[in-house]
Amino acid sequence: MIRFTAARLVDMAAVLALMSFVIYVLIGLMPGDPIDLMRSADPHMTAADVARLKAVYGIDRPLFERYLDWVRATLGGDLGYSRLFGTPVVTALLPRLVNSLALMGASFALAFLCALGLGIAAARRPNSGLDAAINLFCFAGVSVPTFWLALILILVFAAQLGWFPAGGITTAGNADMADRLRHLVLPVATLMLANLGGYTRYVRAAMRDALAQDHIRTARAKGAGEARVVFHHALRTALVPVVTILALSFGGLVSGALVTETMFAYPGMGKLIFDAVMGNDYNLALAGLLLATATTLAANFAADLAYAWLDPRVSYR
Amino acid sequence: MKLPLALLAAVAAAAFLGPVVLHAAFGLGTDDIDLLNRMSGQSALHPLGTDELGRDVLLRLLEGGRISLVIGIAAAIAAAAIGTAIGLAAGYLGGWTDRVLMRITDGMIALPLLPLLIVLAALDLDKLGVPAALARSDDISLIRIVALAVLIGWTTAARLVRGAALVTRNRDFVRAARSLGAGVPHILWRHILPNVLGPLIVATTLSAGDVILLESVLSFLGLGVQPPLASWGSMLSNAQELVTSAPSLAVYPGLMIFLTVIAFNLLGDALQNRLDPIGRSIAG
Amino acid sequence: MTDLSRILWSSLMLLAATIPTGRAAEHQSLTIGTIQFPSTLNPNIEAMAAKSYVLGLALRPFTVYDADWKLICLLCTQLPSIENGLAAPVDLPDGKKGIDLTYTIRADASWGDGVPVTTADVLFTYKVGRDPKSAIENAELYRRIIGIDAHDDKTFTMHFDKLTFDYAAINDFIPLSAHIERDAFADPTQYRLRTHYNTDPANPGLYNGPYVLKEVSSGSHILLEPNPHWTGPPPHFRQITVRAIENTAALEANLLSGSVDMIAGEVGLPLDEALAFEKRHGTDYQVIYKPGLAYEHVDINLDRSALADRRVREALILGIDRAAITRSLFAGREPVADSFMNPLDAGYTDAVPHYGYDPARAQALLEEAGFHAAANGGRRNANGQELSFELMTTAGNRSRELVEQVLQSQWRKIGVEVKLKNEPARVLFGETLRHRRFDLAMYAWISSPENVPRSILRSDEIPSEANAFAGQNIAGFNNAEMDRLIDALEVELDRNKRNTLWAEAQRLYATELPSLPLYFRSDAFILPKWLTGLHPTGNQYPTTLWVTDWAASP
Repeated sequence: MIRFTAARLVDMAAVLALMSFVIYVLIGLMPGDPIDLMRSADPHMTAADVARLKAVYGIDRPLFERYLDWVRATLGGDLGYSRLFGTPVVTALLPRLVNSLALMGASFALAFLCALGLGIAAARRPNSGLDAAINLFCFAGVSVPTFWLALILILVFAAQLGWFPAGGITTAGNADMADRLRHLVLPVATLMLANLGGYTRYVRAAMRDALAQDHIRTARAKGAGEARVVFHHALRTALVPVVTILALSFGGLVSGALVTETMFAYPGMGKLIFDAVMGNDYNLALAGLLLATATTLAANFAADLAYAWLDPRVSYR
Repeated sequence: MKLPLALLAAVAAAAFLGPVVLHAAFGLGTDDIDLLNRMSGQSALHPLGTDELGRDVLLRLLEGGRISLVIGIAAAIAAAAIGTAIGLAAGYLGGWTDRVLMRITDGMIALPLLPLLIVLAALDLDKLGVPAALARSDDISLIRIVALAVLIGWTTAARLVRGAALVTRNRDFVRAARSLGAGVPHILWRHILPNVLGPLIVATTLSAGDVILLESVLSFLGLGVQPPLASWGSMLSNAQELVTSAPSLAVYPGLMIFLTVIAFNLLGDALQNRLDPIGRSIAG
Repeated sequence: MTDLSRILWSSLMLLAATIPTGRAAEHQSLTIGTIQFPSTLNPNIEAMAAKSYVLGLALRPFTVYDADWKLICLLCTQLPSIENGLAAPVDLPDGKKGIDLTYTIRADASWGDGVPVTTADVLFTYKVGRDPKSAIENAELYRRIIGIDAHDDKTFTMHFDKLTFDYAAINDFIPLSAHIERDAFADPTQYRLRTHYNTDPANPGLYNGPYVLKEVSSGSHILLEPNPHWTGPPPHFRQITVRAIENTAALEANLLSGSVDMIAGEVGLPLDEALAFEKRHGTDYQVIYKPGLAYEHVDINLDRSALADRRVREALILGIDRAAITRSLFAGREPVADSFMNPLDAGYTDAVPHYGYDPARAQALLEEAGFHAAANGGRRNANGQELSFELMTTAGNRSRELVEQVLQSQWRKIGVEVKLKNEPARVLFGETLRHRRFDLAMYAWISSPENVPRSILRSDEIPSEANAFAGQNIAGFNNAEMDRLIDALEVELDRNKRNTLWAEAQRLYATELPSLPLYFRSDAFILPKWLTGLHPTGNQYPTTLWVTDWAASP
């Protein structure tokens, strides 16, 4: 177990290092620096200005040299300054991270819990009216693009009914908890509904497989109660693919949800990383993306451990 | 099984043959711009009305369907195939194979798509040796989208298949087969694969719909199917701005996506029942 | 009730209690919706439309162009001119002509913390602007100022190295608050990271306008309140909030729900969406359209053999019905352009070749140029060369995509085959157009009043190896007469003579057609019925500079 964990930690470090290089190069390969683009919008800027600004921001140096500087600084604990915001990376990142954890955490938890309920209910009564209804609901959920869902929710609950604010994170000049919660309702609802359909389908499929197995029949024959059969025996096995999907979504806790954040003007990690990448803000983009990568790696590691716990037949050679 | 297949066949037939028939019979084309007749409602000539440039919505819907279906099916199958191969290798062989493959998968999941997309959009295809005729054709943007969808999609299948393979590989019947001298490919194909089908089929059928929607988000960002080509995704994304003036322009492609998603998923359910009869699944 | 249901019920009650029941005090506050959030707030580093919009409420530049496109003084007392003696042409040592301008800062101008605006601020700003390491964007202005003499706390003289006709316009000179920013500039290379506009944006001492920034919630909103030390006309609103919603449909929804009261025209909805909104909800709002400085056109790569022939270019413009496009797609709100100059501009003339929609004549011209009808509906010349081009524009821009599809279909009717090839803006501008890898490119030039088109029409500005691809004359227009006109325009002080030169330049442009003029883009301002006093300028100076004119009618 210790060896497994140690080996995994080494792997994770290797992946993070490799990804940092790949991402840095990828951003560098994008044509057109924002400084070049400024010229097309500003009639007074000259070519000399562009050259001077590139020197000031240090982007006239070769990519690899800049990457090595970044590595040196990061290993020394200095994440640098964000070019986009003109503040230290940590200052720009931290509040957005908190916002995203709140938004994504709430939506995933709710989606997962509802999916468990719906999926198990559907699996226990295959091909019934309930099953069909739940399926239809899932299909509707996965067919609607997130930006549409967000727009409908805003138009109905904010514009028409006025129950919730149409966007933003707080009302200007007022930052208490009740206000923040009110602003969270619609974005959380959007994300939850967007993910619910997919999760439910996975739970349903996995539970159907699990309930059809021999040891379930054995348990039933031995007189075990229905609840015990479903929750103790079947669910454990069914959870293997479900845990996989959950782990895959975990990275999203940090990388946020770009479309939902844009629609609700909710300043989270999704929009931050997007703006940083598009703005060639290497320091900020790398900090955000590597944080998301580390989270994904950790989540998949936890999933691997979970497989062994859920299903004793799993062993890692 | 019959219902979803019939539904899919009907949609496919309409999408592929419809425009041809309508053009031959009535001389209608999808590019017939008519600025004087924008966003008009139903009429005899235009059963579903016209869009923001006066083109017939029904025709655009059918043409768009062809593109969306091709992208969706191609990407879903390709992603599933690659993911399954990697997942099987990692899950069954274990050890270093598992470590390396899964770390690559983790990296892929964390890769930011937008810069990748933009770099792909900026790539000079001639320099890569792509024949000029293909590089300039309309289809190149389709191939790009399929490539991207596959790049995003294979990781889910890989993780799912690996998880199921881990569970199955130490089962008695697999050990028995091994001791009888069965080779790895045989074991993978006959013993492991049938037991990973459940979640894999769900993932594949879901991903077909996901890809169509991904195309919609790509159009939202300006990187999807390029005009004057239409796809359900780009029609949906364009209609977003017209939600107050012509909401029906969003309803039709949305409805088609909905029907297609239902059809694919029901197909998947039916496949699961056929290929995976009671008793042979993950642990059974 | 079980514990769980009790908790649920109380949460519901709590939520319900926070729903506002009445409208706040009648229109004492204003919430403005914009499509972009300014990520930094220093006025001289990184120009952004959203930033100048917000800063227009809080920071005064010396001079600007107003809604009538006249140069006016905001922070100064009087515009220097040769007639009133405040502007004095001088002969410089190297034989060139420069000019000395004397400005006086308004007596009542003061920063939000009570410290008056003085020449110390001017000198500090000059120092920052001259330093090549300070990341100031528009260094051109600072380079042209050889020196500044401060006569006292309020009066100073600037020495310019070149005498141009718009000498009095120092619009880009926005004074920084020296007493606060000085320590941030201790190390010039660190200035952009230490500037208080980013580290402490709610500091009132940074602003000298009618409002100061109270709260900046990055990515979401900015809250402004009246400047306690403002001695100009008192602003009406006790509170202004600028909210950024970066999706147009969501921005509209916010307007409908009352989360925002108005949508700023300068950083708001694209015109076609504003038109659609007006059709549906126009009776509940005031919608004002103002054509602006964005000149939408199609640049032609004059190095392509078919396009080098002037007849082909004329055929292209005759073959498109620009009036119909603007009528049907833009409800006629975007006036058709005949050349690069905006009708509101002082130098504008109507006496240029006008091209209507004449497909018959277009086809005749193409025949004349040697392109005869081919079997597949296109055209081919004697060498077998097909008349086929690629039209590029910025991907994801809905209006442009619509327009280019119409152009494609109209050109097809005269036998010109056009393929659409869109790229994201950064690829298009950063790579493709710079290296002139295009046939036809549709995009906009942003100019300013009487802006001499040096970088886009002068022959030495054609991007090439020689100038490191930094020029903006991507059409490749090489015309000695245009070069002469550009050089003459910059230094011609006499208004009438200048207008003659402008007229010649426009005529030459419209005759030679290095680009196909399309139209001037309009901004749409969607305002509540109760807001008065807002006058769109149509130029790059935002309406917020005149916020003291805004009021709420009861």
